[in-house]
Amino acid sequence: MSPGEACWQVPDEDAMVALGAALADASEPGLVVYLQGDLGMGKTTFCRGFIQGLGHVGAVKSPTYTLVEPYRLGQLDVFHFDLYRLGDPAELEFIGIRDYFTADSLCLVEWPERGVGALPPADLAITIVSAGSSRSVRARAGSVPGSRVLARWQPGA
Amino acid sequence: MATTGRLGFTWADHEALYSAAETRALDHWAIDQGGVSGALLMSRAAAATLEQLLGRWPEPGLLQVLCGTGNNGGDGYLVADQAHRRGISAQVLQVGDPAKIGGDALRAREQALANGVAVLPFSPDALQQSGVLVDAMLGTGLGGEVRAPFTAAIDACNGAGLPVVAVDIPSGLCSDSGRILGCAVAAELTVTFIGYKRGLFTLDGPDCCGALEFSDLAVPLEAYRAVAPEWRRLCLEQMLAQWPRRPAMAHKGSFGTVLVVGGDVGMPGAVALAAEAALRSGAGLVRVATQREHLSAIIARTPEAMVTGVRSGQDLQPLLAAADVLVLGPGLGRSSWSQQLLQAAAASDLPCILDADGLNLLAEGRVLARKRREHWLYTPHPGEAARLLGVSTAEVQADRFAAAVRLQEQLGGTMILKGNGSLVVAGDQRLLSDYGNPGMASGGMGDVLSGIVGGLLAQGLEGSAAAALGVCLHGAAADAAAEQGQRGLLASDLMVPLRRLLG
Repeated sequence: MSPGEACWQVPDEDAMVALGAALADASEPGLVVYLQGDLGMGKTTFCRGFIQGLGHVGAVKSPTYTLVEPYRLGQLDVFHFDLYRLGDPAELEFIGIRDYFTADSLCLVEWPERGVGALPPADLAITIVSAGSSRSVRARAGSVPGSRVLARWQPGA
Repeated sequence: MATTGRLGFTWADHEALYSAAETRALDHWAIDQGGVSGALLMSRAAAATLEQLLGRWPEPGLLQVLCGTGNNGGDGYLVADQAHRRGISAQVLQVGDPAKIGGDALRAREQALANGVAVLPFSPDALQQSGVLVDAMLGTGLGGEVRAPFTAAIDACNGAGLPVVAVDIPSGLCSDSGRILGCAVAAELTVTFIGYKRGLFTLDGPDCCGALEFSDLAVPLEAYRAVAPEWRRLCLEQMLAQWPRRPAMAHKGSFGTVLVVGGDVGMPGAVALAAEAALRSGAGLVRVATQREHLSAIIARTPEAMVTGVRSGQDLQPLLAAADVLVLGPGLGRSSWSQQLLQAAAASDLPCILDADGLNLLAEGRVLARKRREHWLYTPHPGEAARLLGVSTAEVQADRFAAAVRLQEQLGGTMILKGNGSLVVAGDQRLLSDYGNPGMASGGMGDVLSGIVGGLLAQGLEGSAAAALGVCLHGAAADAAAEQGQRGLLASDLMVPLRRLLG
């Protein structure tokens, strides 16, 4: 595995939440994280761990209908996107997608493949696949900040 | 036949149809409670339109999008913008003063302009004679008649000889009534959003819409739970699935006796058709009370029916005593014979389907008192409905939904207002059937319907269930029969498909 990559076996939902929370600890403003994987792989569970790890108290609901769910956590804007129901990447321009991706915000994007062309590239691309009853989570850095975060990301620490 | 414990259907699973006000309530719920922004709905609407358009015309050539000044126009600007981005040549023809555009629609226009979409003021000359037109001029908010400059744009749109795709609803069509408000776009395809508008399914709606496609724009399900529609669109399969199979122990007495009363001199065909339709829809026994001279003709055609010649209301009494359900009116006429039979029949407590001249005599109000009769079903066409309401046929057609509700309020029971998009009103139920086709505009079709409804009622369905299932079966049978062509379709052609549909 190259230095810009990491892979974890995640046995259950609690471990997926913990993995997301560990990424929250390692993250920094401006980060763009893609989350890929089929329905039911635990992408939203991962996001819940991440968002709660940043200090959000309460539920994290899937933004399937609303496309994006904003969270204001301290000085940080966190945006959780779910592009599953996106008909055309062009829809993103009209909702002002560019305004979300700033140096001060953190963006998690589920189903980024549906927004190709309208999304900025990923600092960190995470892919979740099924491995028996558990999940295999692979992360790949796409930028210098992404590599930095990946190096700090230590689940179970 | 069991007269108590009649079988009813549940309607909640039938498709919701929304008025303009109900559609607005859905929009508001999605935006205010559901957290879906108006901008997101607009861009989803554009994407859904473009997807359907390209599904039908994969290489559309030039897309010419006619945009009004409201949110419908905003959808249009984004259609052009999204098409342009995909490398499809697209231009907007702005109809109306762009200074009136505001909100999300204005932002849509600005985005399209910024991305290099050509935007021209509409004039008939600006329309190029190629490609596909997109109608995004007037939406569900249209209140009154269409005015300039939209009249000219609609005329140009219809006269261009190009396929037209309507965004949400064809411009000029009233989303509540299905009426053309002066003039309307005749689309080849309509892509409608969030909820089906009821005007798309009745009167001029189907002609204006062309093929109809739907997108919910990913509005949360909770919105649909929060906004209850007044009307629903009937689904034949759902009703048939709720109707239990016949028990093996069944005998003809289990399925009721229908008595068809009518057929004055010279009109034996109407009762013959009603009787056969009642038999074909499963009635156990069908009797016909008619003029004596018609006996042999009816028996020759339908030997299963028991036909009796009656001279007066008195002759009818023993037949009434042996019947479970009455079908009153086909070919009844308005003679003194007709009036006597009507009076005698109405004096019985039997559930009754009142049709044709039965309705006309009721409208006159001399022979039969005008009052609510809860166990009756009425099957007026728009002309008969107009006579019953004391208004013109045009007034009935201008708002068929309101006319059907008013009639039911006056007469009680179950009202079936026939026509393109037949309506059923009973109690709180408001149901629409969009089965059927223009081939049904021929003599005897109404007689078949009243026979079907009579046959269903005799088998123990309650009024609204018999009416709803009856109109759907009638239309669906005609659709099956019209596979060999709509012109020349006869009422008797419905019998074979009717039986097949009932399985």
